[in-house]
Amino acid sequence: MEGAQRPLVALVGPPNSGKSTLFNRLTGLRQKVANYPGVTVERKVGRARLRDGREIDVVDLPGVNGFSARTLDERITRDVLEGRAEGIRPPDAVVLIVDVTRFEQQLMLCEPVLELGVPTLLVLNMSDELDRRGGRIDEELLADQLGVEVVRAAVRTGRGMGAVDRFLAGAVDRGAFPERPCPAVRNVPHGVQLPMVDVFAQRRQRVRALARDARFAPAGPSPLQERLDSVLLHRVWGPLVFLVVVLVVFQAMFTWATPLMDGVEWLIATSGEWVRGALPPSWFRSLLVDGVWAGVGSVLVFLPQILVLFLFLGVMEDSGYMARAAVIADRLMYRVGLQGRAFLPLLSAYACAVPAILSARTVEDERDRLTTIFVTPFMTCSARLPVYALLIAAFVPERPVVGPLMGTRAATLLGLYGLGVGAAVGTAFLIRRTILRGHAAPFLMELPSYRIPSLASLGLRLLDRSKVFLRRAGRVILGVAVVLWLLTQVPRSGGSPPPIERSALGVAGHVVEPVIRPLGFDWKIGIGLVSSLAAREVIVGTLGTINGVQDADEGSLELQAALRRDLDLGGAVALLVFFAFALQCMSTVAVMRRETNGWRWPALQFSYMLALAYLGAYLANRLI
Amino acid sequence: MSPRSLPTVGPTAGSVPEQPQELRLDAVPLQQTVELVRIDLPIEQVEPLLERGLLPGCRMCPVRRSPGGDPIVTVDGNLLALRREMAGCLCVRLADGDFVQDGDPTPGPR
Ligand SMILES: Nc1nc2c(ncn2[C@@H]2O[C@H](COP(=O)(O)OP(=O)(O)OP(=O)(O)O)[C@@H](O)[C@H]2O)c(=O)[nH]1
Ligand SMILES: [Mg+2]
Repeated sequence: MEGAQRPLVALVGPPNSGKSTLFNRLTGLRQKVANYPGVTVERKVGRARLRDGREIDVVDLPGVNGFSARTLDERITRDVLEGRAEGIRPPDAVVLIVDVTRFEQQLMLCEPVLELGVPTLLVLNMSDELDRRGGRIDEELLADQLGVEVVRAAVRTGRGMGAVDRFLAGAVDRGAFPERPCPAVRNVPHGVQLPMVDVFAQRRQRVRALARDARFAPAGPSPLQERLDSVLLHRVWGPLVFLVVVLVVFQAMFTWATPLMDGVEWLIATSGEWVRGALPPSWFRSLLVDGVWAGVGSVLVFLPQILVLFLFLGVMEDSGYMARAAVIADRLMYRVGLQGRAFLPLLSAYACAVPAILSARTVEDERDRLTTIFVTPFMTCSARLPVYALLIAAFVPERPVVGPLMGTRAATLLGLYGLGVGAAVGTAFLIRRTILRGHAAPFLMELPSYRIPSLASLGLRLLDRSKVFLRRAGRVILGVAVVLWLLTQVPRSGGSPPPIERSALGVAGHVVEPVIRPLGFDWKIGIGLVSSLAAREVIVGTLGTINGVQDADEGSLELQAALRRDLDLGGAVALLVFFAFALQCMSTVAVMRRETNGWRWPALQFSYMLALAYLGAYLANRLI
Repeated sequence: MSPRSLPTVGPTAGSVPEQPQELRLDAVPLQQTVELVRIDLPIEQVEPLLERGLLPGCRMCPVRRSPGGDPIVTVDGNLLALRREMAGCLCVRLADGDFVQDGDPTPGPR
């Protein structure tokens, strides 16, 4: 195909129907797959190689229940289908993929999609489940009725892939259309004057007629699902299991991840020493070891913790439990102005706010989504932990509180987690009564069938998470580390770096000192705060540098002693409170700007959290 | 919030007074199949319901309650969780032929 563009085929369908599974099968790429509606939140293009060796572009889209374009997901899908999305050609063919066990509801998408006038293949996915539960459908009769190709498939096992391949081959034969006028895809077709309810009702009648003519017999009830639901959604057992699950997740994050984190820490320290030994002393060695290595290393340490959390989230999503957990959480969250779908983003935020804010797209209502995004950074992300750990170790003596179960240190940490939750709840409550006032949106949650999570899908997800995380470490933290190192090196006098107090960084600390005095912080802590504006965890390394402590981490006794000299107890508590509230994370601000389409929300968020942090720290310092 | 004072959406929008055999979904006992008659919600809130098949005329059956007391219903093989506030806005009537259970297209567990 010299010069000509490759044709593009779009994968469309309701949430959780198997689009990403098909995409991965076709392209060999690794899109996140999960048993939770609304997992794919961005379009993703890949190249599929057909059995005859030719190639075609495939785009995986967020699942939609209709084309009202209420949500960001729906707008992305609609824009791609209508050929209005930037940087992607209008699709030359469409694969509509539905969960055949929910045939009647899912086929409601069929008419609007066919209206596009693009060659379409209807994939009746999950036919393995339909068969198992005694359902039935005649796809040939259905194809006759609809006038498009239909295939019964089970994409996960590979059934029906031959027909998909043939359809794609046909699309390649036809080639890429030259630019064509954009058709519209709407719930209510253009020119139709009927009220929306009637449009839907009539469409439903036609779908029902189709089902009858294709001899559709619905799947029988799934005994496994009923048995599990009767426990997991039980009045008493339901919340109990929910609580245990959440506790296990946290337990895993804190205890099971620890040996892995120690391992990573050891690796970084040893390799850093090795590099130091291998290079002659120079400014370059200092930059590499003290700037880059220490900075990036301080972030890499959290990778195991994040992966453990996402492993658990993955199992919860893939098994189908996450949707149930969202239902259980809904009542509580509704009371504070959120909704059940916010549970997943908020739980992920305990690892990192960035993926959490992205997954807030699964929150359907726009006001609910914004509220969720707004409170997400209050959840105690892993970047706060080293700061907490350092200060707690330095200032809180270990004494038993609840017998041998919990000591003062664990209790303090728990209190800080609670502080974050409290701030989130209060904030949600507040903004639902001010800038995001309005009726509560209807909450509707489809409960998917229970499935056994696939190892491949879990593995891919962890890989994906690591990549995102490492990219952050590579860009933001690397940049910050280098800049900070530079600021400690100038102004140079006589070829050697200045004492820290007279370096550019030290001057910055002195400049902010009057402002932070009331919080009980001196210029050294000021430097730490300035340096942690881009990423919280950086403060540990900075404080180490200022106090001349080599390889400072939160476990360093030397650093703890230095801190005890600079801070009194009130100041330490104030610093903890400051970190619990302030939005010191460039990545979060950036992702927020993208997700809310502008600087308004991130700016508001940053100032609000800073004000809250300052006030909280001030009060803490005064009261203690 | 009084759901009853909201505008009505349905094929018979506002024209027919509430029939005596009509009831609200939140008052329907578990395992009782009913037919949706009307959705008493403002029009802009109805679309997500329509898209998920909660259409006037559809058959639904509350199969259990969530721990918070919210109904979980099956609609055409779909398992959906709603809030009881919304269930209070769904006006339903007992499905015809409900007494002969085998003619029921909505798979409901025993
Ligand atoms: N039983 C069965 N399950 C399948 C099949 N194909 C996919 N699944 C499962 O269905 C779930 C949803 O798959 P995804 O590919 O993430 O669905 P999606 O359409 O991309 O979903 P969204 O991105 O949320 O819109 C996963 O748990 C898959 O493992 C199939 O043929 N049979
Ligand atoms: Mg997907």
